[in-house]
Amino acid sequence: MPNTDALALVDKYYSNYGSRARELKAAGNKILGYLSALGPVEIMTAAGSVPLRLKGNVSEPITKADAHMETIACPFIRNVFDSALKGRYDYLDGMVMPHQCDSTDKTSNVWSHNLGLPYWHFLNVPHLADDPSVGFFTSVLGVFKKSLEKFMGREITDKDLARAVEAYNENRRAMRELYSLRRFVPPLISGVEMTKVLVAAMSLPVDESTSLIKGVIREVQERAAHSGATSSPRVMIIGDQIDNTAIAEIIEGAGAELVMDHLSLGSKIYWPDVDVTADPLAGIAERYLRKVKLPTTFVAGGDTYEENLEARFGHIRDFITEFKVNAAIIFVYKYCDPYGFEVPALKDFIESTGVRVLYLEDEYSTSTLGRVKTRIEAFLEMIE
Amino acid sequence: MADEKKPRALATTAAAKIPKMTRANLAATVRAREEGKKVAYAFIVCAIDEIMRAMDIVPAWGESFSGICAAKRDAEKYLQRAEAENFSRSLCTYATCNLGFDMWREELKGEMPPDVPWGGIGRPDMVLGSGQQLCDPRYKWPQATQHYLRDVPVFVGGMYYPPWDPALDYREQEAFYVKYNTEELHACVRFCEKVTGKKMDWDRLAEIVDLTDRTINLFIETYELRKTMPCPMDTGDAMNTMVPISFMLGTQECYDFYRDLRDELKEKIAQKQGVVEDEKYRLLWGAGLPSWFALADFQYFNSKGAVFPVETTYRCTEALDRLDLPETNDPLEHIAWRWVRYWTHWYDKARRRPGSMPEVERLIEYIEDYKCDGVVFHSAFSCRSWHAGIMLQAEVLRQVCQDIPVLIMEGDIVDISSYNEADTRNRIDAFIEVLETRKNRA
Repeated sequence: MPNTDALALVDKYYSNYGSRARELKAAGNKILGYLSALGPVEIMTAAGSVPLRLKGNVSEPITKADAHMETIACPFIRNVFDSALKGRYDYLDGMVMPHQCDSTDKTSNVWSHNLGLPYWHFLNVPHLADDPSVGFFTSVLGVFKKSLEKFMGREITDKDLARAVEAYNENRRAMRELYSLRRFVPPLISGVEMTKVLVAAMSLPVDESTSLIKGVIREVQERAAHSGATSSPRVMIIGDQIDNTAIAEIIEGAGAELVMDHLSLGSKIYWPDVDVTADPLAGIAERYLRKVKLPTTFVAGGDTYEENLEARFGHIRDFITEFKVNAAIIFVYKYCDPYGFEVPALKDFIESTGVRVLYLEDEYSTSTLGRVKTRIEAFLEMIE
Repeated sequence: MADEKKPRALATTAAAKIPKMTRANLAATVRAREEGKKVAYAFIVCAIDEIMRAMDIVPAWGESFSGICAAKRDAEKYLQRAEAENFSRSLCTYATCNLGFDMWREELKGEMPPDVPWGGIGRPDMVLGSGQQLCDPRYKWPQATQHYLRDVPVFVGGMYYPPWDPALDYREQEAFYVKYNTEELHACVRFCEKVTGKKMDWDRLAEIVDLTDRTINLFIETYELRKTMPCPMDTGDAMNTMVPISFMLGTQECYDFYRDLRDELKEKIAQKQGVVEDEKYRLLWGAGLPSWFALADFQYFNSKGAVFPVETTYRCTEALDRLDLPETNDPLEHIAWRWVRYWTHWYDKARRRPGSMPEVERLIEYIEDYKCDGVVFHSAFSCRSWHAGIMLQAEVLRQVCQDIPVLIMEGDIVDISSYNEADTRNRIDAFIEVLETRKNRA
């Protein structure tokens, strides 16, 4: 890929989300949509399908979903479901719904009933990470693999899985390398650009995603020579699927730099790799339960509460140090019990590192952006 | 917003005993320390009741305490404390109410906060949570609690069942689900042994499991007496009589309660004594926890000649001979089978009716068995666990079953600010009119 093309391509895939999947569908591929960081993309890829992580549209009001899904469900889930009902994903052959939280579990039947896709699978991911849970989840993945083999009309061999695992590990290595360019002062890639890269990457087949990321790295590295030091606040954002640039634009529009994230489409999925194991499904199970750090997985580690906090959030402190973060924004969607119940613990933990924290609970919608902007700007003024 | 508590008249004398039993449950948690017993914060429908009872652990049920605070219309002071700590109002209000109480008690260095409803709930020695396909707060609430009670150890075990999928045979998955649940229950025992310093008495556990099995069968037998017309007890009472099965399972007192209730219902049936004098409409409480501060709504239904002979809420069990449980010598494996077979009980029926789903098959079964004319659901805004998916149940019910009148009420379990009595009563009135029209047409 020529050096000048990558960010333009990112823009294209970000602006016209799912366009590549639509092209691949037209070329005869099977496209499987999925939600959340827990979608087992390695297995979907090994089966020969194209996984597409679904997103909503923050600028689009929910007009169809409310007739079928309670408004007490996660606003992100409702928005994506609304998009699907409106035909935005009319090229999907099926969907995989991982059990991340009540809003995925309790609405899975709502999705399958109303979308009527040829393939549907609810993946019963447990909330625990002890040894029996990893064994159990390996069996759950086995049920999924068998079901997918039937739908795709082909066996998924260990070799297929190994290839897919390596492809995703390479993809994650590439993305981590891109993240490393955010350590610079100022970062070589802005938060707005990075958000677009993360969104574009999750819409592509893994090899194309890797190639795109590597192209962005080459393009962005060239900026190093022209970069001058700044003293702007360096912000980290923490939350689940924040898949639009609106928040990043507010932060950077206020003169700060968004240098790191702990989002479910960002560092949460790009830091952990799958280990090569005798049973490939066991390595995949281990990654999703023990390495992907989501609040929906109960972490039992540590003999004391403080040790437990370290097991749950220690990696965030490492990010703070590594990326020279001095302000953090926790952005939680309304009606989210898993994220919401750990806000006080997480906020205290981050503040104990000397970093100031802003906690925001809001919608997956630009309709409330005004109040979000006011609070972020006020917060960043305090940092300056 | 309604701001005065209106007590609900109870139809059975058994239900009238419940406040005293609930107070006793709470009091047991408060005096446990001086009796040398350990207290566990626990959550209903987690399948660890028998383990706690066999180890003499006193369960302190957060849902019960918060429900009482709500019923007394005295939860706001705790909700506000939790909110001040950044626990959003959109989170489970059972949890935030309890957390607000915990924070206050810690500020008072262990003393009970002033004017606490019914003497408050005891400080726990452990928290026993659960990871399931139900209720994120069951593993997040324990973590949040520990943020304020840092010395209290937490255990969370997994309890899962094969999810509904008409394309898959759930029976092929049962074995690994049961194996996993059994392992997690054994891990729970090991944790309790560590905290209590006592070994599990496995013979005692087996006896308690047997007592639980007999209680479950008696509970179902008792509740099925409500099929009788006129209905001798309705859901308004069941929201009280759920206390023993939900909070006292594995105790003789629980068994005895349902024995007495059964006898009382038989007596009422013999005397043709119904909840309402002129029973016009029989309704199914299709899903949803009630607004504890507005239980008088059931009486309002009764005043219109409507009764609820059956509900799915707090009936998280089924007669054991219908579950066909495999034999096992391990009482924990027995619990695991009972769990898996209960949650998958309506799968076969759903597979036989294209387009249906298990929750709807259960509704259809109850509509037919209890001769119901309509279905009422309650959607509580702070609880996704039991309340997301209700609209689909109503939609599928209409599609696969019949054009049955459905009412979906809105409110919350604890937060009274979500409730509007006038609106609720207007919606009930409109629903009754629909039932009336339909009856006249028939």
